[in-house]
This record gives sequence, structure tokens and C-alpha cells, in this order.
Amino acid sequence: MNELIDKLKTQLIEALNLEDMTITDIDTEAPLFGSGLGLDSIDALELIVLLEREYGIKLTNPAEGKEIFRSVATIADYVSKNRTK
Amino acid sequence: MKIFVTGTGIISALGTGTEATLQSLLSGESGIDVIRHLSTGHKEFPAGEVALSNEDIAGMLGVGYPENGLRTVLLGITAAREAVSSASLADTDLKDAAFVSGTTVGGMDKTEKYFKSAFDAESKTEDSLELKYNDCGYSSAMIADNTGCFGMVTTTSTACSSAANAIIFGANLIKSGVTDIVVAGGAEALTKFHLNGFNTLMILDMDTCRPFDRDRAGINLGEGAAYIVLESEESVKRRNVRPVAELSGYANTCDAFHQTATSENGEGAYLAMRKAMDMARLSPGDIDYVNAHGTGTPNNDASELAAMERIWGTQIPAFSSTKAFTGHTTSASGSIETVICLLAMQHGFIPPNLGWRIPINEGGIPITGTDKRKDIRNIINNSFGFGGNDSSLIFSKCQLH
Amino acid sequence: MNTVSHVIITPEETLLDGKCIFRGSITGLYREFAGDYPKFFKMDSLCRLGFMAAELLLKNIPAPIRENAAIVLFNRNGSLITDRNYQKTISDDNYFPSPALFVYTLANIVTGEIAIRNKIYGESSFYILDEYNAAQIEDISASVFITSSPSLLLTGWVDYNDETDYLADMKLVTDKETDLR
Repeated sequence: MNELIDKLKTQLIEALNLEDMTITDIDTEAPLFGSGLGLDSIDALELIVLLEREYGIKLTNPAEGKEIFRSVATIADYVSKNRTK
Repeated sequence: MKIFVTGTGIISALGTGTEATLQSLLSGESGIDVIRHLSTGHKEFPAGEVALSNEDIAGMLGVGYPENGLRTVLLGITAAREAVSSASLADTDLKDAAFVSGTTVGGMDKTEKYFKSAFDAESKTEDSLELKYNDCGYSSAMIADNTGCFGMVTTTSTACSSAANAIIFGANLIKSGVTDIVVAGGAEALTKFHLNGFNTLMILDMDTCRPFDRDRAGINLGEGAAYIVLESEESVKRRNVRPVAELSGYANTCDAFHQTATSENGEGAYLAMRKAMDMARLSPGDIDYVNAHGTGTPNNDASELAAMERIWGTQIPAFSSTKAFTGHTTSASGSIETVICLLAMQHGFIPPNLGWRIPINEGGIPITGTDKRKDIRNIINNSFGFGGNDSSLIFSKCQLH
Repeated sequence: MNTVSHVIITPEETLLDGKCIFRGSITGLYREFAGDYPKFFKMDSLCRLGFMAAELLLKNIPAPIRENAAIVLFNRNGSLITDRNYQKTISDDNYFPSPALFVYTLANIVTGEIAIRNKIYGESSFYILDEYNAAQIEDISASVFITSSPSLLLTGWVDYNDETDYLADMKLVTDKETDLR
């Protein structure tokens, strides 16, 4: 699980252009949207693309993302249960 | 200084020409259907395509085909010629007139068709050369050249408010004394760029769209072109023509919130409607109909309704989105919906908001059935684009002295 | 029109009111003169360039005056740099188009980014010209003051081709002696 969490953090930094950030800067449990890293709806879409490209998970309704993308921990949990690659 | 509208031209999923559009609006028949012309793997999304093929339109216009094969251009020529003839403009009137056209994709349809082969020596064909006709300015120039000999041609490109901004720019050209007559509007063919791009943003509805409905789920795209002829009072008198309406107010503002999303309180939309009313010297109670941007996305409609509530409180005038008729015609929507507004004013009816069932809140109930009212004096037409680029136009019944 | 302030940003140097204030990349310029807006890194190159020019021009303008400003920008290449990058994300047969790139395939997003950062609610437009044309830019800029009465106008050229070829030549102008304090 820890390996997946670190990998997700690296992918997040890359996909969302979080310049100047390293994986130690991202709190696994902290909220990603709203305050936190200040991500917005376009970032959420970019995360949906990331899940499909890297883990073969297809979300068709952006509203589903709300719960899944709450924190790195919730993403890791969802990915580990639903990944197809 | 007063600016008058003296002619209209339109082509959309509702048909070819102002008269056909009127009949479709009165019959309440939507132009949204399965995708027929656009080559795409995404046939699951319905759209408001113009029924005619490129070849049909070229034949109808008597322009050479396939050399005039850009769909945006073909749609544009159809609407621009109608606008010019309905305003009884002669060639001599056009030589000092301006043509201002809004578009975002221009000749993208051909780019999509030939992009791959153009860089592949084996499959490269003569047609691949059509790639050079991709840019927006080329489309406007082609539409203008096939319509008349204009003194000036220019393009506005601000996403879904492009055609509304073309009309604003045209009015400013007249007010600043550059010209007396402007043919202004927009043309936009449906392309993969639209469908795939909006799909990427997950804001397309696989069902027919339901603007302002509580359960609305997104946009149906559309295509088309429309132009109106704008004219100074002096020119109207000199040519002795009867204006259709007055363009009494307009404003362009910025929502300053997000690249694609709109702010919760609809700041940009609020300011655009407010400033347009200020220019027209109208108070909120003077507005009889609002043709909303109303795309059918959860975000736009909530935000636009919030803006209307800030202006009118619980007394919002009759409003509807006509995008369930035409689909969202993106860069052409500002002028297509302008022609719809002018028809509503001339013929005394409010076009219904098709597909609507459940209100977002108590105040947010659009006009849904056939609403015939005699006197529609002032209409606001909203067009909002990505980048938070928000424009409102106000058309008023003519008072020509 | 009176020029309040004038900025030129090229790959070689950044000039503010004729004085060289920085040499280096746009990102370097951001770190030196802004640095507090992580969203900068999400923007495409055209937006970053326009954004930094606006930062330098607007930094001493109080918020209430900024609010009613208008933005009118011009260039030649539109959003071509991002169009190319977006094309790369859809050129494979098994492709994943990037929403973050798609939103920047419109040149006028740069006016939006500037407005978002500076809370500017006035008129905004973006023109694509065949080539740099000072007279045309001046004409269109002047026309903004005819119909709306912005407190300020942010206007000029912002064009990005690649990292060795870009130019922001932008000005802050007023049509009268506005008190900018």
C-alpha cells in the first residue's frame, strides 16, 4: 500500500504540474481539493484520466470522483480495490 | 447614438433561413438528433447538426465544390447572404461596410480529415493541402468574399461568446464612425474538436439536454451560422429601410473565476446584464424576455440563475434557453440566438425551454409551453464563453424618429 | 490615451518602463516577482507570459481601480503551442486527451487568467492579427474607451511560439488623468 501511495503522489505531481513539490510535501490523509493543494475541477478531470491511463479504471460520472479524490489515502484505497492493470 | 438591426440570416438544426427557423420554433420541434454528418466514434451523443450535407449546401449556394468545402464557410455564406438580401443591401452599400464574424474552429473540419495524411508521404494527397485553410480568419474571408465586396473583414474568437462579441464589435465600429453598416455574427461547424474536447470536460449529455432542469446533465452540441445587419440611424434613413429592432444595449464582462467553470453567484453574467441595461437606460422591470445562455450543464445554469436572481429577485422575467432546440452552437450561438430573439419580438412569442421538467428552485421556472404575448419590448440575449468571457445584448422594439 | 506603465518580456530580458529588471526565463521571472500563485505552473506558456506581464504592470494598482479595468490583447500565433501539445495527447490510437491542456487551446484564456488573478471584471477580448500592427492595436484599444468607461486598460501584444521566441509588449493605459493611488 505504501508503495502505491508514493507512486500515486509522484503521478499526481507530474499530472497536475505541482511544481516545487516532492512526495514528502503531500500529506497522505490531507484533503486534496478546496484548501489543501488548491486543486480545481480541471484537476479532478485530469485525475480521472490518470486513473484510466495508469490503472484501467473508468469513471463515467465526474461526481463519483468527489469521494474517491478526497485524499491520497482514499485514491490509493479505491485504486487497490478497482484496478484492472 | 442608436444602432439598428435591418436584416437577419440564419442556418441551424432548425432549418435554413429565418422563415424556416420561425416555423420550427412555433411548432416546438427540436433539431437535436443522432449525429449523421460528423465522422466520429462518439455517436452516443446527440447533436443539433444542420441537416444538409456540404455538397447540398454548395449546390444550393451555387459555389464550387469541393474547393469551397469548409463547413463553417458554407454555413456562413448561407446566413450572410440571407442577412444582406433581407436588409436590401446593394453592392454599393457593401463597399464601405464591415463584415465581422465570430468562430473558434474555422476550417478545423478539414484539418481533422487531413492532418494525419499531410505528414505522411505515402498517403499525402492534393486534399492534404487544404490544411492551410484551417485558420479562423480564412473562414471569415471566404464567407465575406462569397457574400459581397466588403470594405473590411475581421474575426472575433472568444469561444462561446464569439458571435455576441462580433455584434458588440460591429456596433462599436458604427459608434466610432468607422462605418455605417456592419454584417455581424458567427459561423461554426460541429467538429471532433468540439465533441472530444467537451467530452474530455465531461459536460456532454447522452440524452437530449434539459437546460434549467434540476436533473440537467450537460450539453448537446450544435452547429450553424447567423448574421445580422447593424446600421446607424443615418444610414437607415438614407436607405429608407425599416429596422427589425434596435440594439439598445450591450456589455462584455469577465467572470474572473475559472478557465471553464462559472462562479457560484454568477458575477460575470450579473455584470454583463447590468451594464447592458445601463447602456440601454432600462431598468430590470423593462425586460420582457431573457434568452439565457442556458447550456444545460449543472454549473452554467445554476450560476446564470443566481445572476438573474441578483437582478430580479423573485420577479425574473420570462426566460428560456433555446439550446434544446438548436444544440449549443458554441461560437455561433450569440448570433443564432439573436435571430431567435428578434423573431420572438416580431411575432410576439416566447420560445419554450424544451426538455424542462423540474425546477432548480422556486424562482427558476423557465417558459416551457407556447407562450404568446403581444408586446415584447426589450429582450436580453446572454452568451458566455470559456475564459469567463460574458456578453449580454439587449434588443428593443424600434422607435425611429 | 495615457500610458501608465509599459512592460516588454523577451527570452533575453524583461523591461519595465524602459529599464531592464530581469534576465532569464518566464518561470525565473515568476519566482523573482510573484511566487505566491501555484496555479501559475498549471498555465500554458502563453498564459504564463501574459500573466507575468500583467503582474508587473498591475502590482502597484489598488484593487478597487483594478476591478473595473478592461483587457484587450493581441497576437499572431493564437494558442498554437498548446494546440500542438494537445494534439500530442490525442495522436496515439489508444489516446488519453488531457483536459488540463484542452482548456488552454483557446488564446483568450490568457485574458481570463489575468482577470482571475487580479479580480478584473471589465471587458476582455483577444485579437489574432496577421502580424504585429501597432496602429491597429492602438485603434482597437482606443475604441474600448468609446463604449465602456474602464478605469484602466491592459492592452498589447502577447505571443508565444517557443522558448526562444516569445514577446509580451503590454501597456497599462487610461484615457484621462485617472488618479491611480
